[in-house]
Amino acid sequence: MSQDLPFIATGGQRTTHIEVGSGFGGRICSACVLPEIKPHIQLDADGVCNICQDYRRQERTPLFLESDFIKILDKKRGKHRYDCLVMCSGGKDSTAALYFMKTRYKCNPLAFTFDHGFEQNDAIDNVRKAVDKLGVDFVFFKTNYMKDMFKQLIRSKSKAVICHPCSIWYMDLAYKMAKRFDAPFIIAGWTKGQSKKQEVMSSCGCNVHQPEYRAMALETQKFLDEELNGLPQYKDFPRTMETMLKRAKKEHNATVLSPHWFLPYGPEEYVQIIKENLGWDYTAQSYPKKSTNCMLNFISAHNSMRDYGYTHYHVEASKLVREGVLSREEALKNLRMDFDDSMLGGILGKLDLDVGNIR
Amino acid sequence: MTVLGLSCYYHDASAAIIRDGIVVAAVQEERFDRERYSPVFPIQAVNFCLQQAGITIYDIDEVAFYEKMYLKFERTILAHVIGYPFTFNNFVETMPLWLKDRLAVSFAVREELSFKKPVLYVKHHLSHAASAFLVSPFERAAILTVDGVGEYACATWGVGNGTDIQIKKEQHYPHSLGLLYSIVTAFLGFHVFTGEGKVMALAEFGEPDHLDHFKKIIDLKDDGSFRLDTRYFSFNRGAKMHNEKFEELFGAPRGPGEPMTDRHHNIAASLQRMTEEIVLRMARHVHKATGERYLCLAGGVSLNVTANSRIRSEGQFEDLYIQPAAGDAGAALGAAAYVYHTVGGNPRVQPMTTCALGPEFSNHSVEVLLRNRRAKFQKLDRAALVAETARRIAANQVVGWFKGRSEFGPRALGNRSILANPADPTMRDRLNLAIKKREGFRPFGASVLLEHVSDYFEFEGDSPYMLLVANIRPDKLGSIPAVTHVNNTSRIQTLTSERDGVYYELVREFYAQTGLPMILNTSFNRDEPIVNTPAEALKCFDESGIDCLVINDYVVDKATR
Repeated sequence: MSQDLPFIATGGQRTTHIEVGSGFGGRICSACVLPEIKPHIQLDADGVCNICQDYRRQERTPLFLESDFIKILDKKRGKHRYDCLVMCSGGKDSTAALYFMKTRYKCNPLAFTFDHGFEQNDAIDNVRKAVDKLGVDFVFFKTNYMKDMFKQLIRSKSKAVICHPCSIWYMDLAYKMAKRFDAPFIIAGWTKGQSKKQEVMSSCGCNVHQPEYRAMALETQKFLDEELNGLPQYKDFPRTMETMLKRAKKEHNATVLSPHWFLPYGPEEYVQIIKENLGWDYTAQSYPKKSTNCMLNFISAHNSMRDYGYTHYHVEASKLVREGVLSREEALKNLRMDFDDSMLGGILGKLDLDVGNIR
Repeated sequence: MTVLGLSCYYHDASAAIIRDGIVVAAVQEERFDRERYSPVFPIQAVNFCLQQAGITIYDIDEVAFYEKMYLKFERTILAHVIGYPFTFNNFVETMPLWLKDRLAVSFAVREELSFKKPVLYVKHHLSHAASAFLVSPFERAAILTVDGVGEYACATWGVGNGTDIQIKKEQHYPHSLGLLYSIVTAFLGFHVFTGEGKVMALAEFGEPDHLDHFKKIIDLKDDGSFRLDTRYFSFNRGAKMHNEKFEELFGAPRGPGEPMTDRHHNIAASLQRMTEEIVLRMARHVHKATGERYLCLAGGVSLNVTANSRIRSEGQFEDLYIQPAAGDAGAALGAAAYVYHTVGGNPRVQPMTTCALGPEFSNHSVEVLLRNRRAKFQKLDRAALVAETARRIAANQVVGWFKGRSEFGPRALGNRSILANPADPTMRDRLNLAIKKREGFRPFGASVLLEHVSDYFEFEGDSPYMLLVANIRPDKLGSIPAVTHVNNTSRIQTLTSERDGVYYELVREFYAQTGLPMILNTSFNRDEPIVNTPAEALKCFDESGIDCLVINDYVVDKATR
């Protein structure tokens, strides 16, 4: 059921190209892909960042075994209407997560997809194919609820990262759906580079306190505190991920997990599996390369580079580099930002904005 | 049917999976937790085995454990009661281990693995017997198992026929050859588990002039059964298992780091001769009692290559099958095989033709590692890689060789190996002292093309797992000094194209370049478990005097690091 991609413009005259770290001294960690952004990210004499240095000092990285994952699942298996709610974006990671939950862990999952107006049709197609082939129940939720917030964030030139309030919103939504459909686990397709696995047993592991995110998190909180006053629909919108989690836990004590934290397979292996078994495919375009993110993500990434010299994808890729999943060269290649201005304009047009709003 | 086999809580904790008649995975926990002979519940090994099989615990039909723990506990309690009050301290020290782990296997399997069915327990020596016979190529065979101790048995013999194993006789604790070897190993100042091989090597430097002393403490019968004179030992009284009376006979024990003297060499030589004599008598008796043409061996004592070779050269049996993971690691596999047949009623599993049953790593993951560690590397196709590696070995370079799946059991057989030129007269010292950081007297084995084994060794036939030694032919003495032990023997691994693939091709290429149909092969490690991952291989390479590292299709040169 592939449809025309509404945001792809062809024949654009200009291309926006931003190098990681540009405007911020331009020094990139020689071990990962993070730029030096003082005070939170600093490079030593060898050009290695403090985060890589901390990682190297660890005696051993924490172990997350598949048997641990099964242990957690089995405690609540068969005691609820659904064994888990799987957040499916149609990307490789979440589609593989759905596949593993159904076939490998023999769960009865509920697939859940939301569209805030910027999801790509071929990503949604991926989800539909997967749920049909796997025979799992599926809830699709489409809304314009977040549009005004996105618009305000861009128009105000806030340095908040668009993806941050969005993730607060969709996690809130996921908890509500898990409660509504009685699912004890929320399964995300987070990779080994995303979120904080250490908190796996207690919460979804929001990572705003990590040094790589600190500056971004503060700006997000500032935006949510200061810029939503004229928008009454967001009166109760949680101002931080912690607030959202605290509220959500009072309503429904779901545990958030990702099978990818516990499996030894890298994306090259599970992409093969879902291609063969679910007919999954990459979307025509996405940032970073080899991802399947929403179209607004192009704007979010662009603005992050503009404001910080890196994006949260650089943080994720850096973790993957440290854990040996991805080579530094491959990461830099995937993260290279070369955006067609007419495409950016097409996305912004959905919010009644134009590229002038992001310069 | 899919069966998971487990062994743990003493040493060599391991997991193995048999699925629809095939041994799909087997590995020791030490490869993951990096503790030599790790005894812990093999949680990482289990996770690997399941993932290698492409399944989860939900797909496992039965879990088999390699020992009957309550029977072993009964023996332990009885021994402590009999030895009271001298055993009291040891009792207090060891009871927590029993209560926390050893008697709680079912609990651990349920809690750690989420396996809901009851665990099936197979007797220790039956597990060993199954590990030797059920995966062997023989339809019928005699079976001999000798080790430290299981529940009560320290040695057994029996007969395997099809999927059936009948244990005919057991020798019970404390009359144990394995324990005796370990006691003398400790007496000679070595660590138990890591030191037995050293004692075996040391034995060839001495004269067996303490044989009479051993005969005094061992009442050996014609059938190989024996009784230890327990007045010379102090079982269940702590770490030291010999006593003053033993020292009156053999002299003072060697302390750690004390110099090695002729007396120590001679005690080692005497122990080794006694061991060979016992094992030979057992094998002769088993042959006479069973009339079988083939013999299967397992248990820790079956890692004694000299004893194995003497059984072979006596010639009663037409052929031997020695489980490559002869120690307790292999018992996990044996327990799985036994349950697969007895509970499942399945036909025989396919013979185990390789011990490459552990983890392997993709070229992608290797390249990611090398790039992220800024290693300069070359990626070569198979033929070029083989030619380049052979050239380097011929030029007396030491090569770390990491290919395919890691080996199950204690031997590196060309998948996680350090390779070198056997003709280089300086190589043994270089490897022992500068690279492996171990005693200079320890010999190295050779991987030799099967079709050329008789050119250099007084040996015909197959030795796929380096569990046999052979005399070097007199006309070849001096030509392979790096793999020549003091008694002019060498531990040998024979290679075939079908079984050993690229490793065979490497040795064949080395033969083409040098005229020598063999390569020195030692395990890829330095006082640690054999390397398991590319990262561990790279670390070992960086920290040692290895000249060149070959990981999958990649070659890294020390000069460029």
